[in-house]
Amino acid sequence: MTMDDAFDQRLKAAFADAQAPLEAPAEADAFTQKAVQRLANPNRKRVLILGGAGSTGSAVAGTQLEGVFANIPAPADGLMSNLAFLMSPEAMAAAALAVAAGTVALILPRRIV
Amino acid sequence: MAATDAELAALVIATRNDAAFGELIRRHQGLVRAMLQRMCRNHALADDLAQDTFIRAFEKIGSFKGTGTFKSWLCSIAYTEFLKSARKRKSTERVLEKFKSGVDDAEAPRDMGNVVDLDRALATLKEEERAAVVMCYSCGMSHSEASEALKMPLGTVKSHVNRGRAKLQAYFAEAEVSV
Repeated sequence: MTMDDAFDQRLKAAFADAQAPLEAPAEADAFTQKAVQRLANPNRKRVLILGGAGSTGSAVAGTQLEGVFANIPAPADGLMSNLAFLMSPEAMAAAALAVAAGTVALILPRRIV
Repeated sequence: MAATDAELAALVIATRNDAAFGELIRRHQGLVRAMLQRMCRNHALADDLAQDTFIRAFEKIGSFKGTGTFKSWLCSIAYTEFLKSARKRKSTERVLEKFKSGVDDAEAPRDMGNVVDLDRALATLKEEERAAVVMCYSCGMSHSEASEALKMPLGTVKSHVNRGRAKLQAYFAEAEVSV
């Protein structure tokens, strides 16, 4: 606790006087509105960092994926063989990258709790 | 009846409710901004830091356990933001000091009620003393609350407050004599 003598009272009053203009309703509303708006918008720096990391990760993964998918044997007969032209390593790598990019886009606007 | 700070904080923790947090901002913005203005002596920077304080508080509101007051928890975050910013500004200020020396203190202090004089008097204190005095006199915290917010031992806070208070008293006594 503070001493609560005459000087303390003067000091407290001086601090209260300095704070008084900030407590005016218009001033408080303007500040609050600005802060709440910032709460709703994700941090740009965070978006850039996560977006950069996501893109780099996707690019690195993309260079490896084609080799991984090249080892999957395409079915020679049956219904799936008709879709074999869709299952080239390049197409599968592109699909995987699209999923990765979509996931990054989905996560970016969300706030980490 | 209006919800208490702890109730609003619990609502924000449970639902991430922006409106409830907005009410907490409205209640405490004056306190946090005034505290940062006294510590920074730069109103625009203090307001930016106050905004950052509330954003940071929203992000880590889960760590508010309700053991202390919401006010002291918030002031602790504000003080951390202030320290982070002070560290960043230190090198820049060292350069600027060379250009502005002698300009600020040209006018003699008049009265404690004047905000400029209060800021000028606070500028004579060491950083830790100023923080402790501001926490206790501006934010109305007890020594133990200030000790928690400043992350300093209770005895250290008491010494800082007493030393800071004595310096302020001497400063204003001298100012009154010289006027």
